[in-house]
Amino acid sequence: MLFDALAAETHRLLRNRLTVFWSVVFVPLMFAVGGVIYHLVNKAQGDAAAAAAGLPTTGAGSPLNLAEFLTFGANQTANGALMTFMLIAAATVYAGDYRWETWRLISARNTRTALILGKVGTMKLMAVAASVAMLVAAFVYYLAQALVFERPPTFSLGAAEAGDAALIWLLSFVRMVQYGLVALLTAVVTRSLLAALFVPWALGFGQSILGAPPVMMLLKLHPDGWPAQLLMPGLAYDTLKSLVSPGAARVMSTEAALWPALASLALWCVVPLGLALLLFRRQDLSKE
Amino acid sequence: MTAVIETRGLTKTYGAVRALDGLDLSIPRGGVYGVLGPNGAGKSTLFRILLGLIRATQGEARVMGGSVNEISHMRRMGSMIETPRFPPYMTARQVLRWLALEHGIGGSADIPHWLARVGLSEAADRKVRGFSVGMMQRLGVAAALMSRPELVILDEPTSGMDPPGIQEMRALIRSLATDDGVTVVLASHQLLEVQRVCDRVAILNKGRLVREGSVSELTAVGERLRLAAGPVERVLEALGAKGSRDGDAVLADVSRAEGPALIRALVEQGVDIHEARWVGADLESIFFSETGAVQAPETIHAV
Repeated sequence: MLFDALAAETHRLLRNRLTVFWSVVFVPLMFAVGGVIYHLVNKAQGDAAAAAAGLPTTGAGSPLNLAEFLTFGANQTANGALMTFMLIAAATVYAGDYRWETWRLISARNTRTALILGKVGTMKLMAVAASVAMLVAAFVYYLAQALVFERPPTFSLGAAEAGDAALIWLLSFVRMVQYGLVALLTAVVTRSLLAALFVPWALGFGQSILGAPPVMMLLKLHPDGWPAQLLMPGLAYDTLKSLVSPGAARVMSTEAALWPALASLALWCVVPLGLALLLFRRQDLSKE
Repeated sequence: MTAVIETRGLTKTYGAVRALDGLDLSIPRGGVYGVLGPNGAGKSTLFRILLGLIRATQGEARVMGGSVNEISHMRRMGSMIETPRFPPYMTARQVLRWLALEHGIGGSADIPHWLARVGLSEAADRKVRGFSVGMMQRLGVAAALMSRPELVILDEPTSGMDPPGIQEMRALIRSLATDDGVTVVLASHQLLEVQRVCDRVAILNKGRLVREGSVSELTAVGERLRLAAGPVERVLEALGAKGSRDGDAVLADVSRAEGPALIRALVEQGVDIHEARWVGADLESIFFSETGAVQAPETIHAV
């Protein structure tokens, strides 16, 4: 029954091309296009400056390891813009059936738990699709850099780098799913597509305010402590990402924040899903 | 006669309002069963409970021998509650494909067959955002039938349809019962349609059952002999208090056993009889008399 719900939900979402475009394609496309423009402008400015200084304007640069796009792309997967646009799909999937009263048609033949989990599964697939699109955009960004700056492309990927990239990608995926689960709970409570869109966004915005160092200091919240981590899943995600990131980014958080951050992400996934299931199983589905 | 739907003391309250008030109903397997009642009678509430969309406040409802909350029974049912709305960006074919997947019959659903059966073959690849209410109804009926259920519950299946559409839907509902062996339970405000298509009816008012029986039984009560005969005055004189004028004809309030003797007597009195036929009370008059006769149930006052 869960598989039926997942297949049906995916079939329906894929027909909703406008939602798929805005939530999965738009941000990576803008990222790739913006990246190409950025390199072209940089190159033009560099060439102009070199010409003004009487220096040669062309010449092969140092080799560029294209494999770096993996870590770069994985880091960008749960960026604010992509998460915000992913909410369009989340709100449509989670709240759309209240809007179109389709619960009446679909709920009689499947368990409510399976129907909700089918929607969550579809959103996970969407998150995978968005993150793959982001990786493609990151590859385009790196390739454009190599072409525009005439840097010979290489591809060197060690096990450690691949592992780091995979971990960052996994964290970003969990963060996207977690953000969507807040939309799920909002949808079940309010039955409103707009609320499912704006409440998670507002919570995210609120976290960015709360997470600002002056505010944290004012509230006497330590970024690595339990209260701050549990209050802000976004901070927990950033903490975990910095702990597994290679190089300088790793020192941004201390290892004391590991467990609070892990607990925060887990709780922000389990609690909204559990509450949504509990409420949905008892809900009157005969009206909007 | 086995019951496909049974309710015992079924009650549903919304705040202070009793939508269903201790409803006892037994719907037999096979044929077309109509549930009638004015707005607020509890028809849609009954259907929603039977489909597991809402829970009864008190009482019991069983569908095909099992509880309404058992999915195994739901899988043998199809339904359309009021005018369905579908995601507007999908075509009719995509809607049925989506629902087939949702119902776990993605591989076996004969979507072209059901589109043809409800008269939507030509509109199969049109987006439903351009559909009329009647087309939405047809698509909703196709969705209800696609899983080849044993029991179909249809709430106002001809709502918003034009006369040819109503005729086609009536024929489809009859053929489901007679050719496919499906039990159809429907609610409608169109009493003439119900009389034409249903085998049995239940009349609800204010959440209570006020009349139940086969259409022929119900309409046979108050049956009279309609005589197109002349001169009319002589017929009325012969019938006395048992006769009443009905346009150019006379209605004789006599039993079927008395009919032949009455006709012979009138002929012997020199009356020319052009036509004689039995007419029953129509469902409409029964409906209004029954729903008007029932006291409004007491509402529950919140304390």
